[in-house]
Formats: sequence, structure tokens, C-alpha cells
Amino acid sequence: MRYPKRIGRLSVPRRKVQLATAAMLLATTMAACGQDDGASAPKAPAAIPELTKDPLTLSFIWFEWPPAQALEAFANAEYKKERPNVTVKVKTVPNANWHDAMFTQFAAHKTDFDIAILDSQHIGEAVTNGNILDLTDFVKKNIDVKAYNPYLLAAYGQFPQAETGKRDENASLYGLPLLGDTWTMIYRKDLIGDKPPQTWDEMISAAEKCQSENPGVSGLAFHQANGSDAAAVTYNTVNGVYGGNLWDAKSRKIEGVLNDAAGQEAMDVLVNKMKPLTAKGSGNWFIDEVNAAVAQGKACIAFNWIAASGGLLDPKESTLGATREEILGKLGFATLPTQKTNLVPLGGMGMHVSAYSAEANQAEALNFMKWFEQADVQKKWAAAGGVPSRTDALQSPEFLNAGPFNKVYADSVPRMRDMWNVPEYARLVDIENTNVNAALNGAKKPKDALDDIAKEQQRVLDSSGGKGGGGL
Amino acid sequence: MSDPVPLTTDHPGQVASATPPAPGGSRRLSDRWLAVAFISPALLLLLAMSVFPLLWALYLSFTDYSATRGGAAHFVWFENYTAILTSAQVHLRALTTLIYVVGAVVLQTVLGFTIAYLISRRTHGRGLLTTLFLVPMMLSPVVVGLFWRFMLDAQFGVINSMLGSLGLEQVEWLTRQRTALFSLIVVDTWQWTPFIMLIALAGLTAVPKYLYEAASIDRASEWFRFRTITLPLVWPLLLIAVLFRAIEAFRLFDLVYILTSGGPGVSTETLSFHVYKVAFLGFNTGTASAYGILMVLIVIVLTQLYLRYLNKLKED
Amino acid sequence: MAISVDEAVSTGPARDHTPPARRFGGRGRAVLEVALLAVLAVVMLFPVLWMIETSIKENRDVYAIPAKFFGFKVTLDHFKDVFVASGGGRSALSAAFLNSVVVAGVSTALATVLGVPAAWAYSRFSVKAKKDQLFFILSTRFMPPVVVVIPIFLMYRQVGLIDNKLGLILIYTAFNVPFTIWMMKGFVDEVPAEYEDAAMLDGYTRLQAFWRFTLPLLLPGIAATAVFALIFSWNEFVFAIFLTSSDSVRTAPPAIAGLIGGTTVDWGLVAAASIVFALPVLVFAYLVRKHLVAGVTLGAVRR
Repeated sequence: MRYPKRIGRLSVPRRKVQLATAAMLLATTMAACGQDDGASAPKAPAAIPELTKDPLTLSFIWFEWPPAQALEAFANAEYKKERPNVTVKVKTVPNANWHDAMFTQFAAHKTDFDIAILDSQHIGEAVTNGNILDLTDFVKKNIDVKAYNPYLLAAYGQFPQAETGKRDENASLYGLPLLGDTWTMIYRKDLIGDKPPQTWDEMISAAEKCQSENPGVSGLAFHQANGSDAAAVTYNTVNGVYGGNLWDAKSRKIEGVLNDAAGQEAMDVLVNKMKPLTAKGSGNWFIDEVNAAVAQGKACIAFNWIAASGGLLDPKESTLGATREEILGKLGFATLPTQKTNLVPLGGMGMHVSAYSAEANQAEALNFMKWFEQADVQKKWAAAGGVPSRTDALQSPEFLNAGPFNKVYADSVPRMRDMWNVPEYARLVDIENTNVNAALNGAKKPKDALDDIAKEQQRVLDSSGGKGGGGL
Repeated sequence: MSDPVPLTTDHPGQVASATPPAPGGSRRLSDRWLAVAFISPALLLLLAMSVFPLLWALYLSFTDYSATRGGAAHFVWFENYTAILTSAQVHLRALTTLIYVVGAVVLQTVLGFTIAYLISRRTHGRGLLTTLFLVPMMLSPVVVGLFWRFMLDAQFGVINSMLGSLGLEQVEWLTRQRTALFSLIVVDTWQWTPFIMLIALAGLTAVPKYLYEAASIDRASEWFRFRTITLPLVWPLLLIAVLFRAIEAFRLFDLVYILTSGGPGVSTETLSFHVYKVAFLGFNTGTASAYGILMVLIVIVLTQLYLRYLNKLKED
Repeated sequence: MAISVDEAVSTGPARDHTPPARRFGGRGRAVLEVALLAVLAVVMLFPVLWMIETSIKENRDVYAIPAKFFGFKVTLDHFKDVFVASGGGRSALSAAFLNSVVVAGVSTALATVLGVPAAWAYSRFSVKAKKDQLFFILSTRFMPPVVVVIPIFLMYRQVGLIDNKLGLILIYTAFNVPFTIWMMKGFVDEVPAEYEDAAMLDGYTRLQAFWRFTLPLLLPGIAATAVFALIFSWNEFVFAIFLTSSDSVRTAPPAIAGLIGGTTVDWGLVAAASIVFALPVLVFAYLVRKHLVAGVTLGAVRR
């Protein structure tokens, strides 16, 4: 060292290190122990509190897709008429980051949004952790629940989860519907004919025939990616159509239920009959890739969320025609084919009030929701490109004429089925996503994949705290 | 190894300063004060932002704490650790990570050294060449990941388009078990070959010319010269670069997140990616902390190795 | 001396030796080597060229099969879209770029202010357990970000730094300080301590000597170090995506990643945004080309 003599010792930094370390260890323990919050959702008032007259920004959080922009534009145009001092901002994050972005903020007990737009399956996690307001009393007083298909109302708000097709009127509600959604079948009228296939078997053989007759066009396009809930929804859909069940909600059983004979058949159909009809390398496709394949004329039959299909009619993005009409001459939209059952996946999202946003904002959020669920506003939302949930709005010409797929949605409403809505949802869907994705891409045998899903999901449901190594 | 032009890092000037003027007492005090004043702010920041979080993670790693579920943390002691170390899921990720790290580092070392060697043998245009080669290294992993994802797309990607023009089969780059991991290695190699090249070039240009001249007189074969002169002189530097890359590759997260998000299935899930899932999907903070601490231990071992070689290099 | 590209390629003891009696035709071999180098250069640079091409193509050409290398219609629309929102006004991307400038700039400044004096002190004084301290400092820089982000998240939640620019600035500073110390220590080592000794004999205090005589000599090194810190903060993704979510805080890397995963992917826009994002880094990297080797190894390898 350079100046050994000049400076005898310089131990101060080290001593400081030790002191600081000790202090911080202490702080750590205290901080971690102070994190105790009796987790249960706080209640929203039954009546909307007095609203502020000061300028206020009402923030939503959603993921980046066209309905997000549609909502912001719609709300700022229409809600402002009623509340001129309020500006609506819909914050968006990448789809892959959506769950993480909301729940890390919930975990931080500080949110930069007032209304979280949660997937129905996120409700369990948010309610159990006390992240969103209990709206039961508010709904009783302010919302005309009879105007809705009961299951639709329950799907985006009820916890514990509603039984498929029903609503439990004694259960609490934590959200209200914002945007309804389900899968639509998109088919090439010019290639397979005007009449859509009616059964799943017909659909597969139509795709097969179309693929062999049109080189360069693949028979099918659907979600296969291992992110978000892509591959999982695909399997769940086929599982439903073939009469399978995802779980037995009452006894919390997945093992033996998901992978029963019907479940195995669904997996076999998906991997051995449907996958061979998809484009090479489509194993990581999600919404945008399926849309691109359709727009580029590369798929005979495709499945996608209705709310994400609007771009298909945009001539700028499409090679199918120079005008919307020309494209519609080639593209047909239909409800999903049926097989053993007529079930379709429930999509869409509800509005949920953050427990951590300021009181004035929570009041405004409640007021917005009350306003939004009125019949005429729902019709305007439909005309603006949204998918309403009130039955009157769903059957209104404003909605049915706004897009070729809207009738598909209206027809699908009584046929919907959701996934598990439990606090462990994120883990469950990841297990299913990765395994279905593995099966689709030849990394696992279909049967093994399904058995692994059932086994691992069961383990997640069964292990609730107290043990180390959770989440592996 | 007799090396008259040492690759040392420290300035030779410091030898000359071995006899400083005798210091007075007050100056010694002020020097000490100065050192403390200058060093402690930086150390305090590191303590607050690196050590403290790690100690917190260490504490949490012995509990079943969850960042979202709230509630008190219960001590489970070593259960998280034993669960991780015995988990087949983790073993699988460790193997994937190992293949990835070894594959990427070996490939980029071979390529990087080759390019450096070829450049060092040119007399013209070397500045331009080197500069151009360095571009990939400067890009953000996000940009690299996104763009390669586009290029490797089986349907619309330019790579398959070129293969098609050559009459070759389309390859599913990102959706088959083997090719996905391979693609990850290729993309990392594309980005970091310039790094190895840069350091190898530094080593190669430092090999004194007369050693080669002497060898020429001896009529030593090209390979012999390479093996006995070039390689031994460049090797220590190259080793540093390799270890450095190994640490970086071990930590890698962004590229996986963007290019494959771990797929198909979990076949490109590295340890970093897995720990993210444990931490942010299920919010199993306790388990994730234990997982993280184990990864930190590995990094510390690698860093130790790295520093040992670095010191050796300096002392030579 | 730190290696420089210019130096490495021109003044170094170049191997333009013309040894006698080449075994298999010196010229043939040279041609082979040049050809190999050319192929490697094309392979390495192709993705960059392709990115540039994609950014100036119209969307229908982007998806064309077989890929169009030439003869497409050139458009600058994608570059416009990077800065201007589709309905007019500033785009979310341009706001993210601005956030990146603030976060990267402030964290670099902080790292420099904290790191340079520490580096000088480590270089000049014999600090107890100096090697251990320096090792500790370096190893904090090697921590896997995905691991660090877990406790940092918990910590920030206590103090309200989640989704806050200050939070990002602090963590980037913490990652840049070790780098700054290691890199700058090398530069300080190169400045003879006699300068300060002489100044002190003239009656200056050590602090004055550092400030007046050493620091000016260090300025080029500080600039180079700062540039590398800037590049790190500019490119960083992991902390950015986990610690921020709102448009007013989010930096460019997560914003660019967010361009895919909607309902359609505009690869032209992705390419244009990537180019706009990469340009400052390339310019800066060119400016510090003399210190590249040191810079990319945290100042550890300086030759």
C-alpha cells in the first residue's frame, strides 16, 4: 500500500459498518413484524359520500390494448358531462406485467390507481389480501341487479366464486362489470363457406380440409403462449367443450377431476388434433400473433377474445381487403362450436375500488360505477366499442350493430364458464400455462402434462402457509 | 512466463512515492478524517441499498412470509432452504442455467477470440472494424430481446425467410425445447461476443513483437507460436473476461423474460426467472428470499474466483 | 494506460510481421482471413441493419414473406409515432424517454459525487482491510437484480418509494457506486501522488491538493466513468419493470417492452423506438472508446 507509515489505522469505517449493520438488523425485524394487517376487505359505504368540487383525476389501471384507450376516451367525453371537474386516466401496463403491476402496488399499500380493472380470477387474491373495497352494500342501494344476467354480475364481483351460471345472493360483491368478453371463432368465409362449423369435430375437419386445399394457409390459429393465461384458457375451453371440469370447488379437488377421462380427451384433441393444424412455430402465440395470422390471410379458423378482434377490420393492418366491407366479405365471426357441452370461456374484466386510494377518489370511483351501470350509458359504451353487461344494453341495436362479433357475445353470455377464482390463482394459472405450452410444443407428453398440472395445482391448493418452500 | 511489458493495471509511478515526507501529527489526523469523510457516504449508501436489503432477505428466508398476504412472518428455519435444494423443479432450472451459462460463454469466447485474432492480424481498417463489432454490446437487453424475437419468428422472421430462400426447412427457433435454449444462447452470444473480442484484442495487441521475431528466427510453426507465445500471454486476460461473462450470464433475467418467457414449457427458465416467478406470481416472499440468498452465494463464489485471477494478473 | 480502440488497432505492436517462408501462400491465407472477418462482421451487424430497415418500412412490408431487403417504400412514420401520440400530443414513449433522461442523469451524478472521493481515498490512504472493503464493494455490484429487487421492494414499500423516480435513482446509484469506485481508483492510481505531496509542501491542505491539483487531472476519467454509469442506468430493465408502473415514472426499457403484447404488434414502431433509444448510448460509447475495456469490466481490467 502506498502510505503505510502516514496513516496508522483507519478502522472507523469498519466500526461504523458494524454499528450500522446492527441498527439495520433491528430495523428489519421491527419493520417485518410491523407488517401485520388483519386481511379482510374494507367496506365501501352504501350511499355515495359527498363528491368534491375540486379538480380530480380518477385513475384506472389496465393493460395496453384498444379497449383501454376506448374507455378513457369514452369516460372523458361522457362522464365529464356529469362531472366537469373530473378527468379520467386509464393507466396501462404490458399485458405480461398486468397482474404483477397491480399486486405489487397492492402489496405496497399504495396505489397510483383508484379503480383496478381486475380479471375475474384476480378477485380472490385481492379480496383475501384486503386490497379492494367490499361493494355489497353499495350495490344493494345503487345498482339495479335485476338488469343483469346473474352470472355475469357475479363473475366480476362475487367472492367466494359463483357456481358456473349462477349468482349467490348472500355472497359479497367486490366489483362490477366493465367489459364483457369471450372467445369468438373467426373463420374465412371465402375458404370454408359462409356457414360456420357447428361442432368441435366439424370445426377440426373443416380446418383440415381448408389447410390441405390452401397451401400456405394453416387450418387453425389459437393462443398457445406460456405467459398471462394464454395456453391455460385454450385448454380450459377445450376441456369445457368436451365435458371436463377444472376442479371441484366445494372439496377443493383438482387431482382426479381435471385429469379425468373427459379432461384427458380434451388434452388429446388439443395436442393431437388441433395443434397439427396450426402454423409452424405458433407455439408462443397469443392475442396479437393470432390477429396477425388472420390479418395476413394465414389462417382458416382462428380463436380470439372478442374485445381484441376490432383491429381485424382495419384495412391498414390487413391483407384481406382494402375496405372494412371487403374484409367482412371474407371474415366470419361465430360463437364457439359445441361438442359435449356448449361452454365458452368467460373473459372480460370488472371495476374494483382500490382500498388504498384517497377517500375523495373512492367516492368518485363509486359515483363513476353507479353512472357507468345505467342503461343509457351502457348503450353509449356499446356504441363506443365497449362490451356492456346489462341485458338491455346487450340486446340493444347500438350494441349489436357496433361490430360483427357483438352478436357472438350476446349469444355466448348464457354459455360462459370461468376459471378458479382463488387467492392462489396466479400460481395455478402459471402451472397450467407452462404445462399446456410444453405439451403443445412437444416438451411433454399430453397425458403427463395434464397429470402434472393436476398434481401441482392440488399441491398449491393444499399447502396453505406454515410450511417452507411454498411457491416452488 | 517472462513478460517484459507487464499487463499490470497499477501505475508504475506509485513505486516512486514510497518515501513521502514525514507527516505531522495534525496531518495524519486530517488524513484519517478525510478518508472517513470520503469513503463513508459511499459505503453507507451500499449498506443501505445492498447489505440491508440482503440481510432483510436473509431474515425472511427463514420465514414463511408473503409480501401480499400480510400477517406476521412465522419462522420455518431451514425449511425453505431444504425445500429449494431438494426440489426437482429447482434442479431442472439449475441444469438449464448451467447449460445456458456454459454454452453462451464458450461460444462467445471462441468467437470473440477468433474475431480479435483476425482483427489483430490486419493492418488497415482496424479502428472502424472494432467499433462496428462493438455495437451489439451497447444495446439494452430489452432491445436485443425484442428484436431477435422478431427475427426468429417462425412465420414472419427474417431468419426463416432466408433459410426458405436457400431452400431449407423452417426452424421453430423459440418454441422447441432444444432450439429455444439454443436461440437464447445465440442471442446472448451475439450481444456479448464483442465483449470478449474487446478484451482479447487488448491482450493480443500487448504481446510484444520481438517475441514473435525471435520465434520466426527459430522457424517455429505458426501453431507453436500461437500456443507458446500468444495464448499464454492473452489467457489471463481472457480468463477475467470469461469469469465476468459467467457471472453476468448467471444473473441474466431480461433476455429470458422477453425472448421466451421461459418457454416452451419451462425449458428456458433459468434460476433468475424461476426466482422471479416464486417472488411475484405467488408472492412466496420467504421462499424467494431463500432462493435469492442461495443465488447470491453462488455469485459471491464466482466473484471471489474472478478477483483472485484479477489479482494474479496484476501481480504478474 | 487503459486500452483504447484506436490504440489497440493502430499504434500497438501490430503483427504485420512478414515472416519468411509461409507454409501455404501468404496471400491466399490473408484473403481467407479477410473473407472470414467479413462474414463475421456481416453476421454481427445484420440484426442492426435489419432493425434500421424495419424502422423505415411500411407495416405490410414488415410482414412480407419472403423478407424484403430492398425495394420497399421508405417511410418515417414510425419515428414520428415514437414521439407523437396517434391523436396528436406527446406519446407515452417520449414521456418514458424523458423519465429515462432524468433517472439516468441524476443517478449518474450521484454515483459520481459519492464514488470519486471514495476512489481517491482508497487510492491514496492505507485503509484498514482495504482489499476486503473493495471486494465487498465490487460484489454488491454483481448481485442478481431479480434477487435484490425482492427486499428492495419491501423496503421501498415502507418508505413509499415504489413507483417513484427517486426509488429508481437510488437503486441505480447503488449499482453505479461500486463501478465508479473501481473504475476511478484506476484513474487516481495513474496520477502520481507526488503532485499532492508537492502541493502540501507548499502549504495546501490535502483536501485543497486533491481539489486543485488531482481532480482536474481526473476529469477525463470521471467523464468516461460517468458515461458508463449513464449507459447502465439507461439500459436497465429489471428494477424498472418491477418498481414502477405509471407513465409518469416508467423509464424507456419497460415502455419499449410494453409495445408488444397488446392486440397487434407494430414491429416498425418497436424498431424505431429501439433505434431512438440506442442512439445516445452509441454516441456516448464512441466518445469513451479509449476506456472501453476498463468500462465494460467495472474498471477491473485496464491493461
